[in-house]
Amino acid sequence: MAPKVQLRLNGIRKSFPGKSEPVKVLDGLTFDIHEKDFVSIIGPSGCGKTTVFNVIAGLAEPDEGMLLYRGQEVENLRGRVGYMMQKDLLFPWLTVLDNVLLGLDAKGVSPAEARDTAREYISTFGLSGFENAYPKMLSGGMRQRAALIRTLVLDPDILLLDEPFSALDYQTRLYLEAVLLEAVETFNKTVILVTHDIDEAVALSKRVVVLSHRPTTVKSVHDIDLSERSPIAARSDPRFSGYFHTLCAELDIQTRATA
Amino acid sequence: MSRMTETAMTKPGAAAPAAKKSVAARRRSRGNALDSTLGRSALQILAVVGFFLLWEVAVDIGWANAFLVGQPSGILGVLVSSIADGSLFVDAGYTVFEALLGFAFGTVIGSLIGLSLWYSVFVARLTEPFIAAINSVPKIALAPIIILWFGTGLTSKVALAVSLTAIVALITAYQAAKDADKDLQALLFSMGADKHRIFKKVIVPSTLPAIIATFRINIGFALVGAVVGEFISSQHGLGHLIYTASSLYDLNSVWAGLFVLMLVGFVFYHLVELTERWLLPWKQEQHSTQINV
Ligand SMILES: Nc1ncnc2c1ncn2[C@@H]1O[C@H](COP(=O)(O)OP(=O)(O)O)[C@@H](O)[C@H]1O
Ligand SMILES: [Mg+2]
Repeated sequence: MAPKVQLRLNGIRKSFPGKSEPVKVLDGLTFDIHEKDFVSIIGPSGCGKTTVFNVIAGLAEPDEGMLLYRGQEVENLRGRVGYMMQKDLLFPWLTVLDNVLLGLDAKGVSPAEARDTAREYISTFGLSGFENAYPKMLSGGMRQRAALIRTLVLDPDILLLDEPFSALDYQTRLYLEAVLLEAVETFNKTVILVTHDIDEAVALSKRVVVLSHRPTTVKSVHDIDLSERSPIAARSDPRFSGYFHTLCAELDIQTRATA
Repeated sequence: MSRMTETAMTKPGAAAPAAKKSVAARRRSRGNALDSTLGRSALQILAVVGFFLLWEVAVDIGWANAFLVGQPSGILGVLVSSIADGSLFVDAGYTVFEALLGFAFGTVIGSLIGLSLWYSVFVARLTEPFIAAINSVPKIALAPIIILWFGTGLTSKVALAVSLTAIVALITAYQAAKDADKDLQALLFSMGADKHRIFKKVIVPSTLPAIIATFRINIGFALVGAVVGEFISSQHGLGHLIYTASSLYDLNSVWAGLFVLMLVGFVFYHLVELTERWLLPWKQEQHSTQINV
């Protein structure tokens, strides 16, 4: 049975003004995101991965192409996505609790109810006791966890994660990958993850979309079929290294020292 | 003999704490014994007392002319008598009130205009050259006109202080609003926030530290405005006191007025610091690293 398409990007084109002529960044990008999908997007740096997210989130307008959400054409998914970036983007003047509440009180939830929900999430993700701490008092991993809570508490239709863990050390990253997978499982979320870490893409995703160099198109889409999807168990699956090498080859990364 | 017993009593385990102590002692000896809050205060008081003593003696033995430089004992006399008859409090009260009103209005008006310029890039670009032009005028030069327009009472002093402080607040607020983190704005926008909400949640809080930083400069400017206004035309205030006394060659009263003005400025400055700590709790350092060079 074919999986149901939740979001379809159809022929998205986007160029930015360059020095002499416009720089073509996205050159007719087309791919599908299924319901409850976990898709990783990998591609050379500067190929427009962040731009794709900006188009989906409504921060950039495509020159051409359209977005179809559950079959309906939409301008963008502003207000329905949870956008998380490499920088945690916690508001330095707000406490952890108020940061988590940031999106909620815009949604028209009653303040008391919003507070209860926020506290519940904060304790689920192990940040109890830090509700009234300011971001600068937290470690990088805790800050990114707070940012993840803020993203999830909004109950967005799709999570857009733009290299969310790339600034963290390996241990913290493995831990947060596990936290993310569990949350996605619990809350039944659709995730699009941009990463430059092929390891991470294979370990976490159901599918991987590989983008080409600029002007960017979809180079290939790979289904990842591992017996277990958890940061560590997935990495020890016998098929893991096969996917890893295939994707490296797709990105023109030499994985063997050949003369 | 005692050396021998000491050596005999030193066990291997005792060596470590002793070594640690000597490192700590060395570290301490690097700093100056007087470099503590108490030590610094003592030195500061000593310097002030010494200065006034020197001044007093210099006038007494004829090195300096009391008529031209005044004398600490005479200044003290002026302070005591003007405190006794209450005139000092009246004058200081006028000046403080004028400066505070000017500071408050100037900061609020300037900040509001500066922030509102964020709303419209068009209006901001349109007004930019005018703001620069106004900023480049020495506002003190406006004092005669302001007195002409607002009279010789309180209003003209406040207006002068406003003219000095508002432009600083305006430019600072506008610049800080422009510099507010674009990613935070993008994040809120992706959550569906409108311009007004972005203004409230990002622009205002991120300009606040810059606006508060202008408090330090502007409290001084407000005092300048009040005092210059009083110089030109007034019946009360420390500026009035200083100006009339100097025209009578009463140097002791001039100094008395100046020292009270200094005290007022000093108190204002520390109040600003307290306000800053109260308004920006998230800015406070948790721990600071000191570099010993
Ligand atoms: N707002 C913008 N204005 C001009 N150029 C941009 C803008 N956003 C992105 N670009 C350009 O588009 C290209 C792709 O950027 P980006 O989407 O950030 O790439 P990636 O996230 O894949 O590294 C880059 O060359 C970048 O310079
Ligand atoms: Mg990017």
